[in-house]
Amino acid sequence: MNLQNDASARQPARPDPASAPPLWWIIAKQELIDLWIGGRVLILLILFSILMSTAAVLQNTESQISAIPAAEMVYLTLLGSVSFGVLISLILGADSISGERERATFEALLLTPASRRQIVLGKFIAALSPWPAALILSIPYMAAVARGDAVFGQAVVIGTLLGTVLAAAFTGFGMLVSIWSKSNKKSLLACLLIYVILLIPTQFPGGAHKGDLGYFIQQLNPLQATSAFIEKLLVNNRTLAEQSGYLVATLLSAAVILVVLFAYAAPRMRLDGGVPRPFWKGARRAAASVLVAATASFLTPAPAPAQDWIPGQALEIGIDLTYKTVNAGDEVKFTTTVVNTGTRPSAPLNVAMNIIKTQIGDPVDPEDWSPERTQALDPLAPGESVEQSWTVEAILEGDYLVYLTVVPTPDGPEATSLPVSSPGLHLTVMPFTSSNPAGVLPVAIGVPVALILLALLSRRSRRWRRGNDAAGAGVAR
Amino acid sequence: MAPDTRSQANPSGSELPGARAPVLTARNLCKSYGAGPALRGLTFSLQPGRVLGFLGPNGAGKTTTIRILTTMLEPTSGDFSVAGVSSKDPKKIRRKIGVLPEGLGFPNGVTSIEYLVYFGRLFGRSAAEARTVGLALLKDVGMQNRVDSAIGTFSHGMRQRLGIARALVNDPAVVFLDEPTLGLDPRGQTELLAMIRRIARERDAGVVLSSHLLPEIENICDDVVILNAGRVVAEGTVAEVTRRAKRALDNRVAARIRVPKDAVAGAATVLLSVPGVTGVMPNETDPGWLVVDHADPDGADARPEDRGMNPILTALIAADIPIIGLEVEGRRLQDVFLELTAEAIE
Repeated sequence: MNLQNDASARQPARPDPASAPPLWWIIAKQELIDLWIGGRVLILLILFSILMSTAAVLQNTESQISAIPAAEMVYLTLLGSVSFGVLISLILGADSISGERERATFEALLLTPASRRQIVLGKFIAALSPWPAALILSIPYMAAVARGDAVFGQAVVIGTLLGTVLAAAFTGFGMLVSIWSKSNKKSLLACLLIYVILLIPTQFPGGAHKGDLGYFIQQLNPLQATSAFIEKLLVNNRTLAEQSGYLVATLLSAAVILVVLFAYAAPRMRLDGGVPRPFWKGARRAAASVLVAATASFLTPAPAPAQDWIPGQALEIGIDLTYKTVNAGDEVKFTTTVVNTGTRPSAPLNVAMNIIKTQIGDPVDPEDWSPERTQALDPLAPGESVEQSWTVEAILEGDYLVYLTVVPTPDGPEATSLPVSSPGLHLTVMPFTSSNPAGVLPVAIGVPVALILLALLSRRSRRWRRGNDAAGAGVAR
Repeated sequence: MAPDTRSQANPSGSELPGARAPVLTARNLCKSYGAGPALRGLTFSLQPGRVLGFLGPNGAGKTTTIRILTTMLEPTSGDFSVAGVSSKDPKKIRRKIGVLPEGLGFPNGVTSIEYLVYFGRLFGRSAAEARTVGLALLKDVGMQNRVDSAIGTFSHGMRQRLGIARALVNDPAVVFLDEPTLGLDPRGQTELLAMIRRIARERDAGVVLSSHLLPEIENICDDVVILNAGRVVAEGTVAEVTRRAKRALDNRVAARIRVPKDAVAGAATVLLSVPGVTGVMPNETDPGWLVVDHADPDGADARPEDRGMNPILTALIAADIPIIGLEVEGRRLQDVFLELTAEAIE
């Protein structure tokens, strides 16, 4: 009955489960070719390297490089790499489904036997693929600022593990928005807006820390939690166990996003966009309860401080320098004098140095400024005074107040004491610029230039191929 | 529609319908969106090797029906089956159908063969097999010279051909083509339609072709379903539908005849004397034209216009009145369509 004129076109498509690769892998492969050979990823990576270079040069010329410890520089570089790297994942995720809808190529894909989940998985893998490249690109930047410090290896390990978790979370989030968006523009805008909201606190860490709620929000924001986590680990030499709270928040948000994506949103994915109604209901309810909880925590009055007995101590502390203007990287030396003005011997004493940034209340890590922040004193006899010398390294430009506090040791576990502070030492730190800080410049210029050259080369080879096609078609015609 | 139409003999086909099992059967499909029902009980079937035209004004439910039958939308109620596979198993249905959606987009960077191989592989073919099938299909749609050209360089007509080739990679039992000729020039339309008809015959596949262009349905389709406001208002072979609709018009047809302006009065007198003519109306807005009502002898096989027209034309020629123009109404699919979908158009 069949009037077939071409037997090969009539071969029925019979899947061979033994040798055929899974459909999600076929989709991922095609998407990878489209993203990488099509040139979109290369352009995003060029932008990435330009951002990294700009950040590296700015950070390095702002203050003298030698003044900022290598750990701090590596932390900032890794933070930049993770923040910009996950942005690429987010953008590609946000484009993945709604972009196909916009280009009217989505229906053809949905019409294949590939399940919705296989389609999402294939596209997820492709959208995640630029992250390893971004991480590899950021290694020369980190190496340049680490200057041989062991913190470099640590940074690469943390960046690989945590950055990958974050990149997966952001890709998944972008894809969720893309699946539910009515248009590609809306999807990209929504994702960028949320990214900016999440990124802002990492750039102004001082602003958002307001009590328990502030910490809660900080831990909820995966970008900020990761930033805090990396900083504690790399700069402050804290152990992983101490900071696991931040890690749990990041892992949890990634897990929630991926579960919602693959278990809920993907199987319900439709040709047309739109948020499923039950999800809206749930999201609204969750937002309402979070709002109620947040309001309640603001309204709950803070518990009044316990009024314990404080032993009287007659102590004074003076300082021999009240103000000074220095350049970033300069050392400042000063002397303090502690006097027992009472009639009884004092308790054993500790003198602690504190530094406050006066303009915007940014926290300052005194560990970066001085290796010796606390000095102990034996009990002082009545009328006795002791001098102590201090050294502070001005590592960042700005306006600071340095002050010292004498802390008497309390008598026992059920007593406390009244610390006494010195007058402030007002430190004005001016910027110290250098044109080629520690060899960052070659990396900062070299990486983007190399990428642009690569992009130009691949474009030329594609044009060559297309030109050949046109010529071939012309001959055949 | 009368339920007995299925069993009627099919005058246009060379083989007997009903002798073969339908390859697509839709039973009482309904679809409601938030605003109201878009489809109200759609029932029809299609046999292999035949082309079914899906007609209807914009918003009649053509694309909704095709999306339901291609598993892109779930019907609110009713069901359908493709080559024996029930609509309860959409994944299996997708293996049996090929679809060219309306306004399908293409990736610009890949070549035609890469595109076909990708979809062939998604349907479970090996890379080598997908390539062989892809090359054969490109030949089938007349694109063998563009195997390795990037799709970005293609014209709209070439993209539509490639889209049809893609719809065939899994050797489907039913092919759905939603407005395939939209945006093509007349020559491109004719060529594409001829190709579709050839493919349906060669592959013995059922083809569902939606369109709002009546001539293209009339020329290439074997069967037709006319939809209006989510309902089937006519169904059957093209000949059946036109004949039945003519009966619905009370066995009366109208002809429009143009004569020289000064001969209008004389022509009217001559025509009224012709047996069977029940009325002659000079058209005032368009001088020279006359609308002639006449009874239509119900000829089963002969073309009715020949029978009704001959005495009229003979009488005019005998009276030496020149005939400048002649149009016969009520016989073409277009007239049936306009009559049946009048409500929606108004």
